[in-house]
Amino acid sequence: MMLNPILSFSAIRRMRSFRTMLIVIAYVTALLLAALTMLSGFIRDDLYLNMMQRGPLCHALLLAAQFLMLVLIAPAMTSGSIAGERERQTLDLLLVTNTGSFRIVAGKILESFALLALLIVCALPVQCLCLMTGGVTILQILIGTLFLLAVALACSAVGVFCSSVCRSTVVSGVMSYIVLLLIGAVTMLPFVFGYPQRITDVVYDAARYAELTPEGARAMLPKLLYLNPGFGLLCLIQGQLHVLTDLLTGRGWGRIYCTWLMMDRADCEVIAVICAGGLILLSAVLAGAAALLIRRRTRAAKQ
Amino acid sequence: MLRIDRLTKNYGKFPALKGLSLEVPDGALHGFVGPNGAGKTTTMRILATLMPPTSGTAYVDGTDVTREGQKARKQVGYMPDFFGVYDSLTCREYLDFYARCYRIGATERKRMGSQLLELVQLQDKENEYVDALSRGMKQRLCLARSLIHDPKLLILDEPASGMDPRARAEMKGILRTLREMGKTVLISSHILPELSEMCDSLTILDHGELVFSGTVDELSDRMNGNAPLDIRLAETAGAEAVEEAVRCLREMPYITEILQEEPFLLRVRLEGGEDVCMAAMRELVTRNIPVCDFHRAPMNLEKVFMEVTQDDA
Repeated sequence: MMLNPILSFSAIRRMRSFRTMLIVIAYVTALLLAALTMLSGFIRDDLYLNMMQRGPLCHALLLAAQFLMLVLIAPAMTSGSIAGERERQTLDLLLVTNTGSFRIVAGKILESFALLALLIVCALPVQCLCLMTGGVTILQILIGTLFLLAVALACSAVGVFCSSVCRSTVVSGVMSYIVLLLIGAVTMLPFVFGYPQRITDVVYDAARYAELTPEGARAMLPKLLYLNPGFGLLCLIQGQLHVLTDLLTGRGWGRIYCTWLMMDRADCEVIAVICAGGLILLSAVLAGAAALLIRRRTRAAKQ
Repeated sequence: MLRIDRLTKNYGKFPALKGLSLEVPDGALHGFVGPNGAGKTTTMRILATLMPPTSGTAYVDGTDVTREGQKARKQVGYMPDFFGVYDSLTCREYLDFYARCYRIGATERKRMGSQLLELVQLQDKENEYVDALSRGMKQRLCLARSLIHDPKLLILDEPASGMDPRARAEMKGILRTLREMGKTVLISSHILPELSEMCDSLTILDHGELVFSGTVDELSDRMNGNAPLDIRLAETAGAEAVEEAVRCLREMPYITEILQEEPFLLRVRLEGGEDVCMAAMRELVTRNIPVCDFHRAPMNLEKVFMEVTQDDA
């Protein structure tokens, strides 16, 4: 089977660029400095941390930092994937070949994903520093990496989708950030408007809560939340630190508190994996939509 | 090879193509001429499967381009009027990339790449970056790209636009070679003389409508029938003879326009064929006007083009 030419040749072009090397170096250096700072005890000691707690905290913060960087970098990287082809007037040359629209879009998404994956993989040794202090398992690091890869894929898909809709790279970049925010907001809607009362009922009924299985807890959470990358990240952090529940106890944040307890019961890492699956599914849907739009937008072009 | 049947394309309410029908035989080099906005690029984009028509169909070697896009793309090579290139790719990689897009195997890719670089005389630029090439070289490379899957029909939208005379000559040479290779080529331009030198047949479009379709000779014959008459008078006869000739011509009902091109050269437009010409000449000679030359003004293709698309002009 022939490798997607869009993927392979875009990767060649990207890896020949000096900017790519700079991005990788900057990304890893920033994470390394953050990790070393935390681990060497330069953080404030009023968080009553001992060494066993410092590892999970470091890992959780590294995950959050990577998550933020990916969300910021991916749209900027992908905004020109299709719109840039239009601007360069190379899209027509691609569309007249036997490469289908979906293959073009998939190539563009995977090409961007490949660089983001490279960043994540390059940062793996930094994450593994947390293993030194204990409190973090290799499985947790792997699940965190899987989740970040899924976020990278989803962000790339959003970027390519917007790029296939917009004619200009700049507009596409702005639209990508807006769409990411919208995805975050829309997938939180059930939490705000249609919050399942049964969750609260179970949490405040000690007997029922004690009997609740992880599968049962997962089934009770609103399904749309699994498409929220932020929710997945919170699950990973909660799974590492279990501090979120402590922070909210007795502060009257009922729904959030109940959800955290549900997350605990449902096994945070498993939820993060499901979230990763949801994001991969979302990426596939966006890729399909982009493939449909790419030709329509070209057809709409006037003489 | 190519059959276009009542092809129509509307952009909103604006009709870009109005029921264009056309046939191009196998192995022909067919010119597509028209002023800007005539519908050339629209027709070519439809044929390249980049755009669906509003109505009508087009067949390339029996394949309906409006319905069987994938199959048609294998048979059509398309070079747009404006195109960009990828930076950070060498000429060889550029061709290899598009060959992969056409799902051509590794051995065939390598062979075609070498052959095409030689055809477009870029074999010595094989390992140079595409964005470092001159415009003419990029045009030739793009032509090689459009041939990478060995298409039966080649659609070239203004391939020589923006080129210097040397690059144009090189492009013409390559097109002649393609004709010798048996490719059917549809080539557009808004400069008729440029195409007339190399094309077997021509189609002239204006405002989305077919104005003429046929060979260059047929076009010239058709236009020569309407060509003005050049009447040269003997210089020794003086200005009075010219005035007398103008007076005489004005009396003839079939003369529509008289222009004094030079002191002793009159250009006359008339309605009618050879019999009217003969009558005019007879009348001038009968009145002892010293006519020393009387012939149809030669119509060059630039004039023909202006004549055919005169409403637009």
